Amino acid sequence: MSTVLRVSNLEVDFVINDGVMNSPLRGVNFEIKAGKTLGIVGETGCGKTLTATAIMGLLPSSAVQRGQIEFADHGVISNQQMAAIRGSEITMIFQNPQSAFNPIFTIGAQLTMVAQRRGIADIATVLTARLESVGLRDPQRVLESYPHELSGGMLQRCMIAMALLSSPKLLIADEPTTALDATIGDQVLQLIASLQKREGFAMLFISHDVTAVAKTSDEIAVIYAGRVVEIGPTADVMDSPQHPYTRGLLGAIPSADKARGTLVAIPGNVPSVLTHVKGCAFADRCSLRIDTCDQEPPIVRIGNQSVACWVVKS
Amino acid sequence: MLGGEIVSEVVMQISNLTKVFPLRDSKKGFTAVDAISIDLHKGEVLGVVGESGSGKSTLARCAFGITEPTEGSTTILGESLIGKSRKSTRALRANLGFVFQDPAGSINPRMSVHNAIAEPLMLAGMDSASIDKRVNFLMDRVGLATSQLSRKSHELSGGQCQRVAIARALATNPKIVLLDEPTSSLDLSVQAQILNLLEELRRDFDLTYFLISHNLDVVSHLSDRVAVMKDGVFVEVGTTRQVIDLPKHPFTRELIRVYSGGHADAPIHFDLDTWQDGPMNRWAFQNVSTFLPTQIIHPSAKPLTLDVAIDAQLEAITIDVAGSRYLLPELLADLDTDAMVVVRNNTIVYEKYSNEMTADSVHLLQSVSKSILGALFAIMADKGVVDINKAIAFYLPELNGSVYEKATIAQALDMTVAINFSEDYLDPQSEMTRLDRAAGWRTNTTGQDLGLRSFLKTLTASGEHGKAYQYCSANTDVLAWLISEVTQRSYQDLLTQYLWQPMGAHDDATVIVDGEGLSVGNGGISCTTRDLARFGLLMVNGGRANGQQVVPAAWVEATFDGASADVESADYLQALHPGGSYKNKWWITAGSSREIFGVGIYGQYVWVDPTSKTVIAKFSSLPIPVDGLHSRKHMALFRAICAQ
Repeated sequence: MSTVLRVSNLEVDFVINDGVMNSPLRGVNFEIKAGKTLGIVGETGCGKTLTATAIMGLLPSSAVQRGQIEFADHGVISNQQMAAIRGSEITMIFQNPQSAFNPIFTIGAQLTMVAQRRGIADIATVLTARLESVGLRDPQRVLESYPHELSGGMLQRCMIAMALLSSPKLLIADEPTTALDATIGDQVLQLIASLQKREGFAMLFISHDVTAVAKTSDEIAVIYAGRVVEIGPTADVMDSPQHPYTRGLLGAIPSADKARGTLVAIPGNVPSVLTHVKGCAFADRCSLRIDTCDQEPPIVRIGNQSVACWVVKS
Repeated sequence: MLGGEIVSEVVMQISNLTKVFPLRDSKKGFTAVDAISIDLHKGEVLGVVGESGSGKSTLARCAFGITEPTEGSTTILGESLIGKSRKSTRALRANLGFVFQDPAGSINPRMSVHNAIAEPLMLAGMDSASIDKRVNFLMDRVGLATSQLSRKSHELSGGQCQRVAIARALATNPKIVLLDEPTSSLDLSVQAQILNLLEELRRDFDLTYFLISHNLDVVSHLSDRVAVMKDGVFVEVGTTRQVIDLPKHPFTRELIRVYSGGHADAPIHFDLDTWQDGPMNRWAFQNVSTFLPTQIIHPSAKPLTLDVAIDAQLEAITIDVAGSRYLLPELLADLDTDAMVVVRNNTIVYEKYSNEMTADSVHLLQSVSKSILGALFAIMADKGVVDINKAIAFYLPELNGSVYEKATIAQALDMTVAINFSEDYLDPQSEMTRLDRAAGWRTNTTGQDLGLRSFLKTLTASGEHGKAYQYCSANTDVLAWLISEVTQRSYQDLLTQYLWQPMGAHDDATVIVDGEGLSVGNGGISCTTRDLARFGLLMVNGGRANGQQVVPAAWVEATFDGASADVESADYLQALHPGGSYKNKWWITAGSSREIFGVGIYGQYVWVDPTSKTVIAKFSSLPIPVDGLHSRKHMALFRAICAQ
């Protein structure tokens, strides 16, 4: 199966405070094949959204980006080339559908603008079919509605419809269900999965919600302080997490089956993006820390998983 | 007490609490909390889980005296909180503590950590030396260093802020603490720290928690009892184990499914290409609407009553088949039975469910769906809506040029269309698997056969129609399309109006639709076991139900008579049923009892024996679609039951 997106050694620096560099992304590597989903899971401030922003070529001018992004048959792609295919071959859906739509235009007007930009003929028919395909039963009413007249779940469906208008090769979904109630969020996840089955696009799924990522993704990348610390097939990562952070994260999920007061609580907090990290960023919170952890950890291959850690052994 | 078995002293009694918010355009207003009563016992954690707008925060605010309820009362340690001045209840309210979702927002940003914790103590009139001592003690208990006492909330992380909020809530030594989404704005690893801390404090200080959250994981982890709230009422209350392990309300089940990373008992690696095979199908056949688009076929307002008089002797019958002797339960297990209902003389004499199936759950009929389509066509033809002797393309001109240009509706009903079509369920290149892909039953990355309509147009004729029997699922899908087109109504609406309601169905049935919303006539219906039996009863009762002719009697009789002897049969059919045939979307056994049946792959049956007036509805999840041995075992099973 063909690789749609390959990200190699992606690093991002921000120039702040008169030349002091800060590195919120420090080495992100992964690839996504057609029809497959890679889930990026991590806590606030770990660089999940920044990764998506860098791939889309949307970093602000104060950012310095290194590493390679290869996309479909374009090969290595520059930010200028990305600008040409952004919104058509790569599209994105966001966390908060209410703020993603302009409140003063109807959904129909906004979808029409996108469709015109993509050079779609017979816009009315295409929009109706698209809205039906995302499970909106009454497309005409939706098209005539303003964003505030629709529920969060319906708006998120509209955003998905908009993102798929151009039949993209890659869909980036950044926390698409976080603002929704759990049951509605689950319906949206099921919808995205069925559309992906039907239309075959690759997906980068970003969420802090481990359960949502596990449900949706073929592969999981766990990101911590700007670095992918573990990556592998979903079932492997969920069943036998290797990196101490991944283990901690999975152990921290509460459930009725875990005795009260016994959740794995990783001490401390995710380091601030302003902290200059040397070596393994997780070392300060890690119970397995050894002396060498103050140096950049190697990538260890364990089964189908790749883990950035000095301590775990293959 | 509702659901639980906790017997310690009641510290908070909530009775009939109701909160109605006025609405501009409605006299009645909006009832956010609707007459809720529940007791909190000393030392317990009561968790209320619900989605946004369910009324859980309003309930908590009313119960803790923050908001005045419209009706009802709260009693704390035996004293009523409602309808009294704030001053007169100050001492009583000192027993209450509050922790809210957004810790940064619940602490005054201009106050130091010390002052934030000390404020309630000052209000309680404590002297400053005692206050300092108490603040230091609380800081230690919530895991914060005293060096942080001079900081302000913006200098703390989210987790540290929530620790300060907890210390402040515990300052006055409350007995009952309201935790309103206490960890919802925290990262997972920090949430675990706070949940552990809350449990430790509860144990050490003998606290009672009233926890509300949208997060079922959090609620079920921390609570002794769980109340599930929806639209202002508790739809379910019980001990955490009861609610999680044996959820009763559909909304609770849905929440559990969502939070368990799929269906509560869904196979972990669900795959659209293998869901029909065992053992995945055991779950999938009962939950089709969770992964494929479906439409509802509505039941009758006055369902056909089925009396129940269980015939205990049936359980003891033995069945000899394929060289073995089986007891009935053994054979049912051997045939991966999910459900079986036997109706004799309009009375249920046997009813058995397994593999998580219940009388309320629906199961995919597979090709038994075809027999239902047959009945609808009998009704439609009788009403003059369609002429079954006309070619299909007469009604669907788009099909001119395909096999359906010449083939008639009657030939499609009787499976005598000569068509280039392989019904091989396991060959990925067969027309049958192409049909599955077109219908959305399998992954379709071919870029072709997008939807049933475009697939059906590609099918070609292989000879003269009406001469020989040839089983072909597409012949049923084309008829479902045809009848929707002719009537300009959806297939599910037609079934609801002309069949499901008149025959007295008790429950919703569903039908799978393709990506364009067209019903999958060949095998897409799911219904309850009893409703399938009701459908079978129509055939036993000459097409009548509830004193009304639902399906034309002549059509029922013609079905029992079977196909004309001129139609060339197939070897496999003759091997199983010598002299048997296929007519009107039913299989005719030509047995001595004149039985007919509908059958679907992986073991779905409706068996109709007009002689003993017996109907058997059976659902199964066999590992493979069709094989002779399973078929023979089923025939032996049904005949043994009917002979009893």
